Amino acid sequence: MPCAACHGPDGNATIPGTPSLAGQPTFFTHWQLIKFRDGRRKDEQMSPFAANLTDDDMGDLAAFYAAQTPRPRASAADPARAAAGRELTLRHHCASCHMPKLQGQKQVARLAGQDLTYLLKLLRGFKAQTASDLDGTMTMAAQPLTAEEIENLAHYIAGLTD
Amino acid sequence: MRRIIAVVMAVSLLAALGLWLLPAQAQQPAAPPTWKQGQPSSLADSTLAPIPQPPAPMKAGDIPVDKLKAPPGFKVELWAAEINNARAMTWGDKGTLFVSSRVAGNVYAVVDKGGSREVKVIAKGLNLPNGVAFKDGTLYIAEISRISKMEGIEDKLDSPPQMVTVYDTLPKDLPHGWKYLAFGPDGKLYFNIGAPCNICLPPDTHANISRVGTDGTGFEYWAHGVRNSVGFDWHPVTKELYFSMHARDWLGNDSPSDRLDYAPKKGMHFGFPFCHQGDTLDPELGKGKHCNDYVKPILKTGPHVAGNGVMFYTGAMFPAEYKNRILLAQRGSWNRNEKTGYRVMMVTLSGNGKVAKYEPFVQGWLQGQEIWGRPVYTTQMKDGSVLISDDYAGAIYRVSYSK
Repeated sequence: MPCAACHGPDGNATIPGTPSLAGQPTFFTHWQLIKFRDGRRKDEQMSPFAANLTDDDMGDLAAFYAAQTPRPRASAADPARAAAGRELTLRHHCASCHMPKLQGQKQVARLAGQDLTYLLKLLRGFKAQTASDLDGTMTMAAQPLTAEEIENLAHYIAGLTD
Repeated sequence: MRRIIAVVMAVSLLAALGLWLLPAQAQQPAAPPTWKQGQPSSLADSTLAPIPQPPAPMKAGDIPVDKLKAPPGFKVELWAAEINNARAMTWGDKGTLFVSSRVAGNVYAVVDKGGSREVKVIAKGLNLPNGVAFKDGTLYIAEISRISKMEGIEDKLDSPPQMVTVYDTLPKDLPHGWKYLAFGPDGKLYFNIGAPCNICLPPDTHANISRVGTDGTGFEYWAHGVRNSVGFDWHPVTKELYFSMHARDWLGNDSPSDRLDYAPKKGMHFGFPFCHQGDTLDPELGKGKHCNDYVKPILKTGPHVAGNGVMFYTGAMFPAEYKNRILLAQRGSWNRNEKTGYRVMMVTLSGNGKVAKYEPFVQGWLQGQEIWGRPVYTTQMKDGSVLISDDYAGAIYRVSYSK
């Protein structure tokens, strides 16, 4: 599997804009792979890889990444923005699905310590209603966010450690 | 999607009405995710949450079908497996079983090869395609905001034709936006447009059962005040509509009850969001309302049981008294400390809209507090046996009877 080239041998990516997969819940990774394969989620790199995965491959990959230990990304978080972002996670109920430490669960992504550039891209995508969403929850959650608030949220989340 | 936003804003505005008079610097909380909406502060620490759909079906060999129990003389066996998220079922003219899914985004064709079944994916990447109905060689598929068709599909299972839109003037909301789809006795397609929330004052366009012609004309609302109904059928003799309805969440373990309803004519209002289970006003939206102004359920099916598939049994295989009984598949609870549902119930009517008996038919997906499957819909085979779909295990079971 060529996954390691971008996502790192243990699922801890170092390329800005590429998400870390280490510690992601199995249901989450598995569902994302299904959506890349059936076209609901699109990405120039990922779509071709997912096209040839079997159901069992997906289950094995999801289990592998869930078992890896996540490490915080090197992407620098701005302390002032992070402080503002913390308040936003409370006001926007992030923990009700992503759990108190934003560590994710079941089909819901782990966010803590994720790459800053990737978080910004995803949040902007949900706001623009162009990001793939299993049940619409994130698209709705992102609608009230301003561009400034998205920056602040992403800085807070990127800087989180367990 | 624009519509979702308008509705979510309206809902959050309603929820925040009490905060209008706070000082301007106080930040209003944003709307919570739909499943959490309506949760009172007294339950803020609840760990209850919807049960996630597994991304993969169970392997055929791992399915504990022997745990499923039916009345004496009935046998339950595994009929087809490894159909991710299998939900609604409809038969093609030539014996193909078409099966829908929800979050898996697929529509399947199951071909019976005698001793075994072959499963083909005929459409993928769809937007919660819960509804499937078949007529005159054409398969109709209902997604969130679109009903489309595949003509002549049964002759082209390995190279399915393009999906052609039949009707798409529909709300785009995802919450309760997935549809059950069925042909009524008038030859029109019936489907639900659910409330886009747990509890809210829905727009006039939502919380109903609607119908439209197969040419996409003649759209109209059939029933109002229906929070969400993802299962209905027409009485084989009277041709009148019976449907299941899920009640709101976060009013406690034992209230309100889900319901079985009877809509013999167009335009009836079943109470949502003002009155639940026919006799209980909503603590907020019920103020100033009266339950007697709305149609009451013919049966309270139990709190949080999540009744989905409704089907009148018309076959000749089961004992004679089973004829015209309703099979009600209950997918099971999440918003209740002790799980309930996860079974197929049987309803015996004693007259139009009158219930004589309500009893279990097939159960065993719930073992103690552990679940291994969730029954969603039933359909009848030509020989009078009954198939039950399970979207959690991704399987279909067959129930047969012999003396």
